[in-house]
Amino acid sequence: MAKAIEIENFSYAYPDGTVALDKINLTLEHGRKLALIGPNGAGKSTLLLAMAGFVKGTGRVVVDGLEINRKNLKKIRASLCSCLENPDDQLFMPTLFDDIAFGPLNMGLTPEEVKARVADALQTVGLTEMVDKAPHHLSAGQKRAAAIATVLSMAPKIITLDEPDGSLDPRNRNNLLKLLASLPQTLIIATCNMNFAAALADRAVLVDKGRIIADGDAKEIMSDSELMTEHGLEVPSTIR
Amino acid sequence: MHHAHIDKFAYQDSPVHRLDSRVKFLVVLVFTAVVVSLPRTSVSILACYAVGPFALLVWAKIPLRFAFKQILLVSPFVLVLALSCPLYDRTPATVAFGPFSWRLTLGWMRCFTILGKFTVTMSALIALVSTTRFNDLLTGLQRLGLPKVLVIQLGFLYRYIFVLIDRAHHILRARQGRKLRSLGFKAELRIAAAMLGSLFVRSIDTAEHINIAMQARAFDGKWRTLSRLQIRAADYIFALAAALFMAGLYLLVKPVLQ
Repeated sequence: MAKAIEIENFSYAYPDGTVALDKINLTLEHGRKLALIGPNGAGKSTLLLAMAGFVKGTGRVVVDGLEINRKNLKKIRASLCSCLENPDDQLFMPTLFDDIAFGPLNMGLTPEEVKARVADALQTVGLTEMVDKAPHHLSAGQKRAAAIATVLSMAPKIITLDEPDGSLDPRNRNNLLKLLASLPQTLIIATCNMNFAAALADRAVLVDKGRIIADGDAKEIMSDSELMTEHGLEVPSTIR
Repeated sequence: MHHAHIDKFAYQDSPVHRLDSRVKFLVVLVFTAVVVSLPRTSVSILACYAVGPFALLVWAKIPLRFAFKQILLVSPFVLVLALSCPLYDRTPATVAFGPFSWRLTLGWMRCFTILGKFTVTMSALIALVSTTRFNDLLTGLQRLGLPKVLVIQLGFLYRYIFVLIDRAHHILRARQGRKLRSLGFKAELRIAAAMLGSLFVRSIDTAEHINIAMQARAFDGKWRTLSRLQIRAADYIFALAAALFMAGLYLLVKPVLQ
């Protein structure tokens, strides 16, 4: 079976020459929950964008057996779905229904299938009652859940999430943790919150200055206080 | 942050809310055309026309105070136009209402007519947007033939205007928190320009992120939505009632026109 993600020697520099990603090598099997940890500006978000084919550098990125190129991009985006850091960027349609239906409609599903996908996604994130609400009428926690519903409705094999716990209160963060833990998909989560990463991920990849510093068992990496401090992170309180 | 949305009552439920957006839009459009085309001497007839939109507002349980507040909000633009009429048209005229009659100028009559027409057509417009979700209105307009590009632009405008207002509020608050003395006109202007620039850059940033979010969900340039509009018996009855109301009033006003 093809790997969920295979990245070989991938490098990317911003137009001003700043190296964002430097010779990244990463392989991820299906069904895993991977935490991309690292300080601000480490290159986590850029790596997520590279996995979805939004930044083009040197090297090779293969998603679910398909190498990222113009020909494969449509198929890749049906199997790997990205959830952006700011839910206001993710939720761009006038109502929640239209937002969640956007992906399935672009996939060419029938109206009945689209309605069923929307209903399922809303039920999964617990927002069934909000189907006709405008995104600006939702709370921060609801917006985050709705943003995840927009990718769930596409039934992707892999979901990437950029700082999904950002600006959430503890209750909403716990709800989000439960939701993400219950998903059968391969999850790749970029976060600076070590407790969040430790509670969810079985594997961690520490990124700093565009390079992979450490890759392995999440608890093992996150309990190395010297490594964590050296890269501006902290050992999660749940591991200490 | 809380925003005073013009369509904040559109999410209620009433027989008017349940009507198809296309039918409501067309009725309001025809009603507006009829009211605007009334002669300037028909101020009293305008009061009869006002019954229609206000009846809709009451039936839909929209607070009339809200409707009047919205009318007042946009009235300054029309007030300037209306109040200039008495200045350039001073032809004497006599107005009779039953046994009472009084003298004034044609300019004043034109002023009252403009204000009357504005109030009646605005109340119809408020009845439409207060009982129709913006998204349903956009879908209705698209089904009535409005270009898709325009519908998409309006959709994005409605979605992001509140995000933009929030950002502007945050920037203003940050400035207020650190501005401890008056800086003078020139410095204030420079700060305002920097703030506008920041808003502009962040808007471009947001647009780029939205583009990524759209492409990540298999967007290929074709805009696809699932229309859930359906014309039912109640819509036909509403359209017929509106047509009878307007036709009845037209017959009433016809002798005045001749």
